[in-house]
Amino acid sequence: MSLLRDLEALLLLVRWDLARMWHRKIFVAMRVVWFAVQVSVFGLALSAMVRFRGVVTQGLDYYHFYLLGVYTSMLFSISVSNAYEVAEEFEEGIIEYHLSLPIKRRVLTIGRSIGGGLAAFLFTLPMYAMVLALMGGGPPLAVAASLGAALTFSVGVVGLALSVVLSVKSGDATDILFGLIDAVIVRLSTVFYPSVVLARYAPYYYAALANPISHFVDFVRTLFFFEEYRVLAVADPLLMLSYLLGFAAGLVSAAIYVVERKLEGGGWR
Amino acid sequence: MGVAIKAVNFTKRFGSTVAVDGLNLEVYEGEIFGLLGPNGSGKSTTLLTIATVYRPTSGDIYVFGHSVTREGDTVRKYVGIAFQEPKAMWVDTPHELLLWHARVVGYSSSEAKAVVKEVMERLGLWEHRRKQFYQLSGGTRKKLEIAKVMIQRPKLAIFDEPTAQVDVITKHALWDVVREMRDSGSTVIVATNDMFEAEKICERVAILYKGKLRALGTVRELKDQIPGGDVVEIVFEGPRVVVERALEKLGGVSRYVVDDGRLVAYMNKGEEVAAEIVNLLSASGVRIKRIMVQEPTLDDVFFYFTGARLGEGQ
Repeated sequence: MSLLRDLEALLLLVRWDLARMWHRKIFVAMRVVWFAVQVSVFGLALSAMVRFRGVVTQGLDYYHFYLLGVYTSMLFSISVSNAYEVAEEFEEGIIEYHLSLPIKRRVLTIGRSIGGGLAAFLFTLPMYAMVLALMGGGPPLAVAASLGAALTFSVGVVGLALSVVLSVKSGDATDILFGLIDAVIVRLSTVFYPSVVLARYAPYYYAALANPISHFVDFVRTLFFFEEYRVLAVADPLLMLSYLLGFAAGLVSAAIYVVERKLEGGGWR
Repeated sequence: MGVAIKAVNFTKRFGSTVAVDGLNLEVYEGEIFGLLGPNGSGKSTTLLTIATVYRPTSGDIYVFGHSVTREGDTVRKYVGIAFQEPKAMWVDTPHELLLWHARVVGYSSSEAKAVVKEVMERLGLWEHRRKQFYQLSGGTRKKLEIAKVMIQRPKLAIFDEPTAQVDVITKHALWDVVREMRDSGSTVIVATNDMFEAEKICERVAILYKGKLRALGTVRELKDQIPGGDVVEIVFEGPRVVVERALEKLGGVSRYVVDDGRLVAYMNKGEEVAAEIVNLLSASGVRIKRIMVQEPTLDDVFFYFTGARLGEGQ
């Protein structure tokens, strides 16, 4: 009975975040249009300038590499933007309201992480469809696995956002920290540059190796272009998958720790 | 009568500021309990700790025997709170917010729709159901907050300054809501800095001032603790000296002033002593033209117990 009640509360919290996304539908539409311009105009122009085939791989051009990279950067960016929403909710007292509800703190955190992650995932779904179309489709299993990986990745990023925002409790600190994370983390990854190229710059390469974004994007690339990417990716596919699952579970657990043990209302700066 | 809330040496600090200092307090099941005090006295901090939104720095608060520190999940099953500042995002509409709230507090989808409609109609919110939060007036926002508790019908209902910013008609309607909640089995705590409100609806009150508990009891008990707090004024016809002699025979009068045809006496339990004065004066041949008994207000009680002075607002 209690488990059912927890599950119901979890679904309601997911609904809370999805409703938030629904209120931003015009913003979502604008981002989708911008994404379309990016992958069609800039993506093609960039691919024409980059000599990729024959340098790092035989059967793949930079455009396909870029498509999944730009989708990943968008998914990361939208998931990270959840931090600003949580910050706004804190300022408006919504977090205090949620803390007072008859919901276990653990359920509250998992629900908000999944809700925020799912909202970001759905937000970027039209972009994913666009990328898939531009790649000429893909095996159903690869599509399903990549979607699962995308959802897991965005849940982890939202877990990170919750942990940090609810710990620092500051609008300014949130802006600076997540602006920095959004700008730097993507660049220190294999989102736009393959690991074989990064290997020439040790600090860059090792940062990319440790970076969860590299593991996510290379895992997805491997799903679609297995033969080409199993030698290019930052790690073995199963290792990348384990990293991704550990990343999501670890950061949601960190958020649970913060909410259960540290968080209280007030004190927002 | 069981104990709904028990605060044991509850202290809450925010940095170097002591918001509540060693609070010991019991609230009984089924009563309307008032937490009184000026802004910054620690009322909201206490209520938010009961609702498990804040954590005690030291000490603890027990809600129906469960510690807010160690059993927060259990405590929240019993508690519903109407915050002082209404909580919603600017794009929320009252209807969707309350529907979500109703589901979270345990109603099925169809039950939620019915109870939300009923409560919204009762509070005059139904016509505003599709407006966004930023389009609502301060009073309507406040009603939205009250509606959450009405929907929840918790065992312990907390209202933090429920009638601040609302008009007089709504104020009376909200007082009725508070009484109805008590009548339907909830224990109710109301925080207010409106002494008149506390006097109207609360059965017992606690006065907090600068984070410390200054007084606790029924309104009547607190008033009776003010030495010479009741004022009896009698307009009479007769010799002044006779009145003075009669009063000297009486105990319980702290002091009095008699001038031409008018007696003002200060005492405790004025309604009882006044009857004795009337009997004595009548027996002495003094004709009484008018009599007024005035008891101290809760404002007087507050100033007496806190030692605060006017102009000392926080």
